[in-house]
Amino acid sequence: MKLHEFVVRRLLLLIPVMIGVAVFTFAVAQIIPGDPAALQCGDKCGLIVGYTEEGEPITAHQANRERLKLDDPVSIQFERYITDLVNGDWGESQKNGRPVLDIIKTSAPVTLEMAFFSLMIAYPLGIFLGIISAVRQDRMFDHVSRFFAIAFVSLPIFWFAMLLQLYFATGPEVGGICDPIFGTEGGCFPIFDRHDQSYTYPIEGYHWFYPEAGTGFHLVDSWFVTDAKLAELPSEFDTNRELFMDTLTHLVLPCSALGIASSGSLLRYMRASLLEVLHEDYVRTARAKGLSEFRVVVVHACRNAMVPIVTILGFSIGGAIGGAVLTESVFGIHGMGTVAVLGILQLEYQIVMGVTLLTSVIFLLSNLIVDIAYAIVDPRVRLE
Amino acid sequence: MREWEEGRKDREESRKRLLESLAMSIGNIGRGWKIYRRSLLAVLGLVMVLSVSLVAIFADEIAVQHPYRNLTDTEDKWSNNPDQQESPPFSEECSLRAQKITTNPNSPLFSETVVAESGNKVRESIALGYYTDVLSVTEIIKIESISPPGYDQDMSLITVDPNNSSIFVLSPELYGNSSYYAGVWITYLYENDEMSHWWMPEGYDTCIFGTNKEGHDVFSKVVYGARVSLTIGITVATLTVTIGTIVGSISGYYGGRVDEVIMRICDVFFAIPGLILAMAFVAAMRSVSSLTLPVWLGVLLPVLMLAYFLNAHLSTTILSGDNKVSDQAMGMLMKNRSLLVSVLAFLFFVGWLPAIAWSDFFGVSHSRGWRLTSSLVVIALLAAIILADRKFVQKNSMDGALERLSSSFDWTNPWRYLNFRTVVVFLSMAILFKLSGNEGSEIILIKDFDKLWQVQFALIFTGWPGYARLIRGQVLYVKEMAFVEAAKSVGAPPSRIMFRHILPNAWAPLLVAFTLDIGGTILSASGLSFLGLGAAPYTAEWGLMISESRVAFQRAPHMMLYPGLAIAITVLGFNLLGDGIRDVVDPKNRR
Amino acid sequence: MSEKPLIEIRGMRKWFPIKEGMLSSVRSYVRAVDGVDLVINRGETLGVVGESGCGKTTLGRVLMGLIPITDGSVTYSGSDIRDIPNKEIRRKMQIVFQDPGGSMNPRISVRSIVGEPLQVNGISEGVELTRKVEELLESVGLKAEHMTRFPHEFSGGQKQRIALARALSLDPEFILLDEPTSALDVSVQAQVLNLLEQIQKERGLTFVFISHDLAVVRHISDRIAVMYLGKIVELADSDEIYRNPLHAYTKALISAIPSPDPDARSDQPPVEGDVPSPVDPPPGCAFGHRLQHPDWEKSTKMDLSLKEVSPGHWVQPCPCCTDEFDEDRDLPDWVRGE
Repeated sequence: MKLHEFVVRRLLLLIPVMIGVAVFTFAVAQIIPGDPAALQCGDKCGLIVGYTEEGEPITAHQANRERLKLDDPVSIQFERYITDLVNGDWGESQKNGRPVLDIIKTSAPVTLEMAFFSLMIAYPLGIFLGIISAVRQDRMFDHVSRFFAIAFVSLPIFWFAMLLQLYFATGPEVGGICDPIFGTEGGCFPIFDRHDQSYTYPIEGYHWFYPEAGTGFHLVDSWFVTDAKLAELPSEFDTNRELFMDTLTHLVLPCSALGIASSGSLLRYMRASLLEVLHEDYVRTARAKGLSEFRVVVVHACRNAMVPIVTILGFSIGGAIGGAVLTESVFGIHGMGTVAVLGILQLEYQIVMGVTLLTSVIFLLSNLIVDIAYAIVDPRVRLE
Repeated sequence: MREWEEGRKDREESRKRLLESLAMSIGNIGRGWKIYRRSLLAVLGLVMVLSVSLVAIFADEIAVQHPYRNLTDTEDKWSNNPDQQESPPFSEECSLRAQKITTNPNSPLFSETVVAESGNKVRESIALGYYTDVLSVTEIIKIESISPPGYDQDMSLITVDPNNSSIFVLSPELYGNSSYYAGVWITYLYENDEMSHWWMPEGYDTCIFGTNKEGHDVFSKVVYGARVSLTIGITVATLTVTIGTIVGSISGYYGGRVDEVIMRICDVFFAIPGLILAMAFVAAMRSVSSLTLPVWLGVLLPVLMLAYFLNAHLSTTILSGDNKVSDQAMGMLMKNRSLLVSVLAFLFFVGWLPAIAWSDFFGVSHSRGWRLTSSLVVIALLAAIILADRKFVQKNSMDGALERLSSSFDWTNPWRYLNFRTVVVFLSMAILFKLSGNEGSEIILIKDFDKLWQVQFALIFTGWPGYARLIRGQVLYVKEMAFVEAAKSVGAPPSRIMFRHILPNAWAPLLVAFTLDIGGTILSASGLSFLGLGAAPYTAEWGLMISESRVAFQRAPHMMLYPGLAIAITVLGFNLLGDGIRDVVDPKNRR
Repeated sequence: MSEKPLIEIRGMRKWFPIKEGMLSSVRSYVRAVDGVDLVINRGETLGVVGESGCGKTTLGRVLMGLIPITDGSVTYSGSDIRDIPNKEIRRKMQIVFQDPGGSMNPRISVRSIVGEPLQVNGISEGVELTRKVEELLESVGLKAEHMTRFPHEFSGGQKQRIALARALSLDPEFILLDEPTSALDVSVQAQVLNLLEQIQKERGLTFVFISHDLAVVRHISDRIAVMYLGKIVELADSDEIYRNPLHAYTKALISAIPSPDPDARSDQPPVEGDVPSPVDPPPGCAFGHRLQHPDWEKSTKMDLSLKEVSPGHWVQPCPCCTDEFDEDRDLPDWVRGE
């Protein structure tokens, strides 16, 4: 089978799963209690906004139900939901009328940024420690690092994140350890938010900081922020470089929390995979050829041991997004997780549907990309 | 029919076999333990799990403060303690109390001696009102005037009665002076029995983990939290394993279209990150206030179980010939006609008949006997349909059926029936009997479907596909082993192949996953609680305690430190335990 | 030997469909057995030889009714196997598997393994079952006290004896031996083969002995069928097939048997090429195709069903692989002189 055939077929196989996810989100939205129409008009539901042709009064509540077409049969609502999805209309927030797609557009890059950098921490750390652990199997280092690997998997990530905040983002009077060592003031890293605390920005904040046409990724946008915009910003940001550094330092703690937590399982995978490879004949052959142990491990063994590690990258992304929900909540970052939690707490089912759908799309696509990359890289994989 | 005495040898034989298999399981456990204790970490994990479990079991004895129940199944309420708020561990603040003292002699509340008493505490139920405790004062810290506020007064104005440390004596100076008439605040230290531990050294025995914002003793809440978390972990893991095993073994054993459909459903579940999925489920269950089943649906499971086992027994004894080779090979009951017949029979008998018999149809309230009889009729009819299908459509002989049936029951050897099948049959009968006494048309499974139940069900819904996939893979793997084919080739029925040959050889990875999943569930549940989607406010749930501590975590980090540590230790314990069990069941480590 | 054959196979086909994903319909088949006619007489041992993947194991499974037949028929003492109730077939036909360890559930005792056929068919229980298992174990040369042990406590040869005891438990007429010795050490192989012969003599059993090892098959069989890619290419008495192999594939198999005499090595070059895939087998003579024989084209247009060359000796009449009906062709001396 050709590669493009393989890609097309994998894409086609995604369709039933995506339909399943859409059905699922729709079903959840149907079950979630609360009347969206009532939610929208709040305490003004009884207000009479007009009259029917027969002269019957129409309340705001009825008008909303009419407008949202909530009285249609479920099948028709579902049909409309799917067509709207395909057409790019993901509904709107019932509280402030902002389109869901717009909310997601500003929140998704934040989460993705975080997930990406956390994996950038998790993978090198997990792989490096995993290699050492496997090479020094059953010695002290191995035992210690395995214990820590399990311990990191067992840590509640939100608690770990709070510990990081406590020790690295506060002054010594609270428990911070940075100030006496590095001479910083109030900890090494900012404790909260995606930007400097001096400006709180609720929903409009993003647009306040960055141009409308930005990518949504704070790191990118802060680098390319215009001078005119920069002039509006608080005086402490003289250049876009400072702004960039500010956004970067705000990422350190959340990404470390996520990354260290997920490096534990990577360490275990890498160790198991490498141990398996180290017993293979070709590794023995490489040793027999008289290669240095370093070359044997790094060049011959690791390259093959890495393959299964790369395949779980797709799952790691899913895990990172799940973990991001909790981390974002701790650090007060307005990413998808926060949006989803708020959506659920305020019964904004359109938002919940949108976020669920989008996370699953990201998850499926990343798995697909990993699979394709895997098929290209590994000659042993047959495209079936 | 044989005489009792005639079956003596068979009885002895069966007993011997039972003892043998018992000895074998004990031997296996012993061998497993030998492998297990090789790893120090695994033993450590076991110790952690055991100690957390012990703490959970003896929470009532260990904790010093106790919650009261508010007519709920799982959630506990904690009464607020206005005296000690956010006090750090071992600190004086833990036994500090500020009490208002009326000093105006004209006030009806005035007295020259005042009892040192605690703030208002809620009784077992709010309806019973409030109560206060008498405190034993150890030291008076300061006396402040109320108007003007905040001015320290002479300490000699109030003294503690030397004979009774609970009584303040006001000096006449205090109530003789009209400038104090607004009253004074007295701040004093007292013996805080409520938060002191007999096993801690003197001076360090009060509120060892500090108190939280509501004044609850953090230690007590952490101890009770073990109960909540372990309950959630074990309930969820058990139910997910059960559901996953059933679904996965059906999927793996029957394969084909059934497998395809189940696996596609699982794919959908896997496509959504677990926590977000669980959040959505919690949201969807918001409005469920109690979990009930229609009676006919509740009766369904035991009735189907009984019918299944009856049918299996009948078709191996009554029918001299089994279904034909080609039919069996085509894939059991799940195909074509049999499927149609089963669906029809299912809808008609299992759905409709009990619905009439078990609910108050025609306004007649039925007796227990009537209900049980109707169930038996349904079971018999179901079995009869399948037998008739075998006899007339598949043309199996029924000659001498009764004789074979009577000889198949060996009353003289009860040992023979000591097996899984009997347990299921008796359990089904017991459930049926219990339900037959049920009033009304609904069976209440969970009376108060509170937030903790919602979390548990959300986690069950999100958890089963993982197990289904795991068990399916195992079943597919074991199914291809030669001994399964060997069992088929001697004519063993599908149920025997599944329960005797496939599942016993497939459950080892399941045990590992189960143990690891208890830890994972505790993590997820605490995560949901942390986000505000889990336990109700003020419950002793570790995740919630951390969440509640966030407002003051820079000021009072002890409020989040200990619950988090408790989660970490518990989950770590289960993870280490799971790793140890993995080593035990790993075939590489056998002998 | 009675007149009527015990088992008759007519035009047996077993094609396994290959699925190409969940949406597409079945596109191709593995033709594991592709048109086999065979007669098995009462009391004889029929050997089936062929290299791995030639369909001999599938032939056995279909013969036993363990997997459904695609086309053709299997007749057991006069009635179609599909019309006989499963239980009766199981009582008459039994099977011994290749891997003695794998064919036993590691979690149940030898008593349960050997007694399972008796139990599931409702024949005996309790003390009676124990007594029967004892007898069976003793008849295959094991001791009664082995009953309480578990499969992993036995050696390969002992396990195969247990498997044989299980097969004998229902007192069948016919036993399919699916490579029963290939997982065993050579020294143990002989013991098991001798035991098989002895039991056959005692009980008057009919055997089909499947193996890839021609030497073993010859030792035990009365007749031998040689299979290649789902078809039987030659069928004859075991001595005859050795003395007078007609099909080129049979010759290749015989010459592949290592000879103890270094001077008598075969001149025949080893067969080149791989077994073609049974998914898309070449038309005509499959072996000729593999040899790239110049006459292969001819064979695609011919009827290749077996022809009786001499009494009891059947061969595929293929121009490229069979030196057709030529009794005087040159055979290596070592073959002739045995």
